Amino acid sequence: MGNIFKSFTATVLLSSSIIAANAMAEDVTITIWSLDSDVQPAQVFAKEFSELDNGIKVNYRRIQFDDVVSESMRAFATGKSPDIIAVDNPEHALFSSRGAFLDITDKVAASSAINADNYFKGPLNSVSWEGKLYGVPKATNTIALYYNKDLFKKAGIAKAPGTWDELLSAARTLNDPSNNVYGLAFSAKASEEGTFQFLPWAQMAGGSYKNINQPGVVKALDVWKTLLDEKLASPDTLTRGQWDSTGTFNAGNAAMVISGPWELNRMIDEAKFDWGVSLLPVPKKGAQRSSAMGDFNYAIFSNSKHPDAAFKALEYFAAQDHRLFPEFGQLPARSDITIPETGIALKDAALKVFLEQLKYAQARGPHPQWPKISKAIQDAIQTALTGGATPKAALDLAATKIAAVIK
Amino acid sequence: MRALLASLRDGRGFDISLISITMTFLLLFCGVPLIYNAIMSFQEVDIFNLNTFIRPWVGFDNYRALFADATTLPIFYNTLVFVFFSIAGQFLVGFALALFFSLKFSGSTYLRGLFLVSWVMPGLVVGAIWNWILSGDFGILNHVLKYIGVISDNIFWRSDIHFSLWAVIIANIWLGTAFNMILLSVGLAAIPNDIYEAAQLDGANAIQRFRTITLPMMRATIGAVVSLGLIFTLQQFDLFAAITSGGPANSSNVAQYRAWEMSFKEYDFARGATISVLMIGVVMIASIIYVRSTKQEIRG
Amino acid sequence: MSDEKSKWINRLLVLIALTMASVYLFPLYWMFVTSLKTGSEVFATPPALWPEIAQWVNYQDVWQSKNMARYMGNSLFIATGVMLITCLLGTGCAYVLARYRNFWIDVGLFLILMLQVLPASLMVTPLFVGFNQLGLLDYPRIAVILAFSAKTMPFFIVLVRATFMSVPYELEEAALVDGNSRVGAFLFIVLPLARNGILVCAILIFMQAFGEFVYAKSMIQDAQLQPASVGLNTFMGPNTVEWNRIMAYSMMYVLPILGIFILLQRRIVAGLTSGALK
Repeated sequence: MGNIFKSFTATVLLSSSIIAANAMAEDVTITIWSLDSDVQPAQVFAKEFSELDNGIKVNYRRIQFDDVVSESMRAFATGKSPDIIAVDNPEHALFSSRGAFLDITDKVAASSAINADNYFKGPLNSVSWEGKLYGVPKATNTIALYYNKDLFKKAGIAKAPGTWDELLSAARTLNDPSNNVYGLAFSAKASEEGTFQFLPWAQMAGGSYKNINQPGVVKALDVWKTLLDEKLASPDTLTRGQWDSTGTFNAGNAAMVISGPWELNRMIDEAKFDWGVSLLPVPKKGAQRSSAMGDFNYAIFSNSKHPDAAFKALEYFAAQDHRLFPEFGQLPARSDITIPETGIALKDAALKVFLEQLKYAQARGPHPQWPKISKAIQDAIQTALTGGATPKAALDLAATKIAAVIK
Repeated sequence: MRALLASLRDGRGFDISLISITMTFLLLFCGVPLIYNAIMSFQEVDIFNLNTFIRPWVGFDNYRALFADATTLPIFYNTLVFVFFSIAGQFLVGFALALFFSLKFSGSTYLRGLFLVSWVMPGLVVGAIWNWILSGDFGILNHVLKYIGVISDNIFWRSDIHFSLWAVIIANIWLGTAFNMILLSVGLAAIPNDIYEAAQLDGANAIQRFRTITLPMMRATIGAVVSLGLIFTLQQFDLFAAITSGGPANSSNVAQYRAWEMSFKEYDFARGATISVLMIGVVMIASIIYVRSTKQEIRG
Repeated sequence: MSDEKSKWINRLLVLIALTMASVYLFPLYWMFVTSLKTGSEVFATPPALWPEIAQWVNYQDVWQSKNMARYMGNSLFIATGVMLITCLLGTGCAYVLARYRNFWIDVGLFLILMLQVLPASLMVTPLFVGFNQLGLLDYPRIAVILAFSAKTMPFFIVLVRATFMSVPYELEEAALVDGNSRVGAFLFIVLPLARNGILVCAILIFMQAFGEFVYAKSMIQDAQLQPASVGLNTFMGPNTVEWNRIMAYSMMYVLPILGIFILLQRRIVAGLTSGALK
């Protein structure tokens, strides 16, 4: 009886002391939305930050890639937006240009944890709008060419293709329909993924989204068309995303694949062959290099009730950037962090190539109407590849549509 | 006051209150969004002014812009093809199955139940499975067709502009068969057996009996099935999202998916709404079919 | 017809039925097989009809890592709510629509179908904005229940109306002559006679609501309250399409409804085909 009484008082005391502590600290709760799962950085860091004893709790919500913009805009319009959002970099300008994101230029200037100069130019560019900072890059990535070394050896090809012509001829040699092997896998899907994969080709040929119909870009689309017309790549390239395309490479059904470093961990687990990574082939020897710049940025919504607490969270996230690669296989968007070797030979070799490729990465936009620009490019790719129009005509149409958008 | 209460308990008031509660509910949760959409189609909308009704009025600009777009007409054509063939397929397969199972052999009710499975499957799951079955290189459908010798080369169901719409139609027929079959079974069971027996005595053969008894007696059911099917088909969204995303090159894009794309991919809410307003025409037809078919009903 | 002959016909019919069923159910089988494969096996050409080593661990993995118990609980909550509201509001309306035959009834029937023009994906934005102003978004599962009930209503009304049509009008008239009020005649005479049909439709609505996705995805932001369909969607990221685990999840998702269904299916079919509608 006495024991019960004691434990009862103890409980009462304990709980009242917890209440007291809570009342003193006056916990602030901030909300973070991101597409990261429970084993990916945003959610892991958010949880850690929430558990720090700093009076800030985090409410994390996972949203899907396709829903990030529509969900958060709707929430913003109705005053239900989170404090922090992770948004895909080409869509950042859509928000910052409309004042939906908080201008954090001054906060960053005063911060010791975040230094704008440490970030790569491309990612930093994507969070900037008219000279102000509206966010912090979360990570970065790019695409390069993975190739199956065993298949290359068998076909007697000494090295990975360096130019578009070499790529085509390698694909022709490696293509082996009777064994269900395609020369190349990539994604020309009618979504942002298609634009992401095509723009590097356009840029290497001297084009950009602002002049999408110049001859070099037409040539690039010609090469894509050849790949599909000759069935050097699966016709499902048109409807398959990058993850599924790479799946066919891992299963040995494609000799090469164009994809990013997010695949490294899966490939090491699943690919039962020797493979390597090489820079994206260029139009011809000595031509300028280019690649896509992917991944997300963090931003604070301008109607956040706790901007300071939210910024503290961003500072915490930035301070964990050095863990991005070792723990999550993602590349920090910063030049001041050297990525340690993992000890896995394939992964370390691949990483070197990706870091090299990253130097040529270009952001998409930034432009507040990016989704429309991107859609015009996707439409051109799809019409040309399905034979609805010649690459030239399809790109001319895209150029007209884009011109109407950017005026 | 007392008269009102009495009427509520015992007269017209009872009927009116039963029906008006439901109608209010529907008007609130379906009617208001519908009007909201209709208004949006005459306005300039972006997501930042979603929360207010007061937005720049642009008259028929959205409609003009929509019809100036070269992709619009093919998309409406696709919608008609999709709706027509989905319904025809679902209906024929469903009717055939319903007739077959009305033969009453051992275990027929039990086996018929198995065909209801597609009803219990969430749309998202159905989409994922069919995406997988229809895939070009490693899809099982191609594998089976090749094995039995129907085709010699893989058909790229999802990526070939000649097949992509049909890929979704096939999946949609699968999905809708359950619903068609069960409703038609209900209708078949309602036809009294003695009518058939009398006709048989008169020497009518099976086809004659089907044409002179089954079809006319089933008019009401068929009307309900077709009009509900029309509405379900016109709302089909998950399958497009999961199998082709309307691609390639819009070859499998239909009005309802395009409207969503406009709103949530290009953030052009006004034009998304414009498409949905145009869809009202089709649903109107469905509703008329249904209302007309109810005139054929025979009260039990 | 001799006994011997009818026996053979019976066997033949069963055989045809089984063949058709196995073709029809193949997608379900394929879902099951895919759920037992490894990540790369899924992409193998030609596809295997049975995995090399069945990966039952996928199930355990998914159940735990995805918190499926919680998701299923929420699905159950939403499905039950939708079913109750649809029945409560739909039954009376269907009864009235079956009882009379005039211009206004036609208008009512017309409207009920007409209001279903918009797919859920387009309804969700106006509903979201409206619910937000009503403060309903603070009870997101209730919001989803209300929104989805409005979607399932026409189907329910059309079916249940047909059920009421099969209840002889004379029975109700007799009850009225006996001194019953309209309410009494409806509750104690007509409703019991239509019970089977209503129950069956209720079950069908429940199953539909169990899979609801579009509304739940947008309106329920708190992961604690999301249903299994939204949970399934979290697999489908741009860089994380794990088909085998998606299918394992799907299997566990549909198994309970499939289970209920297999237990009840004879009654469902019978309820629809004979009991209620003659």
